[in-house]
Amino acid sequence: MNIHIPQPDTALTADDIRGLVRPDHVHRRAYSDPAVFRLEQERIFGRLWIYVAHESQLKNPGDFVRTRLASHEILVTRHTDGNIYVLQNRCPHRGARICMADRGNAKVFSCPYHAWSFRPDGTLDSVPHRKSYPDAFSYDDPQNHMQRIGRVDSYRGFVFATLNETPAPLLDHLGGMTDVIDNLIDRAPDGEIEIADSSFILEYRGNWKLHLENAADIFHPSFVHNSSVQPARRAPANASMLDQDQTREMLLANGFGTTEWEGIQLNGLPGGHAYMNNIYTRGVLTQQDADPVAVRYRDALAKRLGTDGMARVLGVNRFNNIIYPNLVINAQYQQMRVTVPVSVDRTLLYIHCFRLKGAPDQMFHRAVRFLTTLGSPMSMIFSDDVEMLERCQQGLEKDVGPWIDISRGYGMESRDADGSVSGAASEMPMRVQFQAWVNYLTAEAA
Amino acid sequence: MLDHETQRRIELFLFEEARLLDSGQFQEWLKLYEPQGIYWMPSQPGQTDPLNVASIVYEDHAILSIRVQRLLEARALVLTPMPRTTHLVSNVEAEQATDGEFKVGAAFVCVEHQADKQKIYSGRHSYQLARRDDSFRIKMKRVALMNSDGIHGPMAVPL
Repeated sequence: MNIHIPQPDTALTADDIRGLVRPDHVHRRAYSDPAVFRLEQERIFGRLWIYVAHESQLKNPGDFVRTRLASHEILVTRHTDGNIYVLQNRCPHRGARICMADRGNAKVFSCPYHAWSFRPDGTLDSVPHRKSYPDAFSYDDPQNHMQRIGRVDSYRGFVFATLNETPAPLLDHLGGMTDVIDNLIDRAPDGEIEIADSSFILEYRGNWKLHLENAADIFHPSFVHNSSVQPARRAPANASMLDQDQTREMLLANGFGTTEWEGIQLNGLPGGHAYMNNIYTRGVLTQQDADPVAVRYRDALAKRLGTDGMARVLGVNRFNNIIYPNLVINAQYQQMRVTVPVSVDRTLLYIHCFRLKGAPDQMFHRAVRFLTTLGSPMSMIFSDDVEMLERCQQGLEKDVGPWIDISRGYGMESRDADGSVSGAASEMPMRVQFQAWVNYLTAEAA
Repeated sequence: MLDHETQRRIELFLFEEARLLDSGQFQEWLKLYEPQGIYWMPSQPGQTDPLNVASIVYEDHAILSIRVQRLLEARALVLTPMPRTTHLVSNVEAEQATDGEFKVGAAFVCVEHQADKQKIYSGRHSYQLARRDDSFRIKMKRVALMNSDGIHGPMAVPL
């Protein structure tokens, strides 16, 4: 009889990590080894700035969002002092999880077990039967508070947190990717955006990096999404009464060929960020003159920005702006995805859209429609992506290979002031992501 | 309260719909819908607004026909192998709405088997049915999935 003896948990060295990535290949362990995942949680999700909330969810004192940061369940709160705090969702008394809602408003967070109560900044508000605690017990003692973790900073309403006690400035991490956040906000006629209340949470049985790579991969849609492209091609135009043909156009847009592969440009930035040009060039989402909603929207936007300013803002057509390690923003469709790793082979995707304040209501309806068409569990597009991510994971867990290929376009990319540039048929973004990955995982603690 | 015969005919209509989905006759399934019929699966419990609140599915006949073609192409990756389902419909309560139209509520359970995975969906259906000839047609079907606002993997076959 074979007895499985667990191997001691050996820490990975920097050389181990470097040994997993070649310029044009990656070792399967990068996706399937739990020890690699633990190191990622410590050195990527535990050290980089991680998006945790949008300030439109935290307008009033007591407003909170529950989410994850590395392996922690956290509450992102707005306190009465106006500041935003990130707290462990855990009572310091007996260790129980306190808040079981994903968002809401609470004057105090009260533990249901023995009724210790905490203010939104984590400080202790009250304990029942105070006199039974020792004299040394202090309300001011941080060990009696909901633990504040890490640092918080925000960029124009996008709240980031890090467990790193001495992080590089948020702006240094975001680098040129602030452009896409700027562009999203600039598109609002009132200069302000709100995250929509409704969103999707999708789960896939695969490593978190697979989604990030898929988001930078414009080669796959012709193959993966063909089963939706073909019926959309056969369907008559403007047959739907619900969405001005938006769904059909989005399906059609996944029919890429040589023109797109060679026409679209990919950009990879230091730090692992990447983006591509617009891939949807038709339909109601592209602001055509014949569309009365787009005309009203542009009139409203031009009032604030002027005609030239508006043209500049609407002329930005960057798709799948990937802010490493976990944020994907599409400003022109008001969409955002947040990747949350749960384990080496399990990942959650939080899929959101935004309202442009001052824009016609129909603009928001279209953003909601986009969210459903691409991000719903019954999406005719993304469900096939998820299937492929899961099949990759299944293959990568097998002890074969062990190298997988990221060589397409290798040696053909060029450089510009911001980073690497390539055609859409290139796997350059994955190589950029893995360069950053090695750098983060092998960096000594700051 | 409806007469027994009408109640029974409505129940049989819902059972027919479930059988067509289970047997993969998706084109026949779509024929149960009015040309302007809508299939709606909200993302939020109690959701009344399909425009400002995201839906898991909010599609009319034209978009559903694309979805059905996709189901029948058998090339969709998420459909390989094709899931097998058992749609159970029960607790059927129907009432006359306007002339010739009926409001119907029902509980559902759907067990879906695909490859090595088995999933269970449940919730409540709400229908607006119109009488057509000696049967009915769906003007609106609202599928209130019990865990509509939960965490989901990909879903393929309509509930």
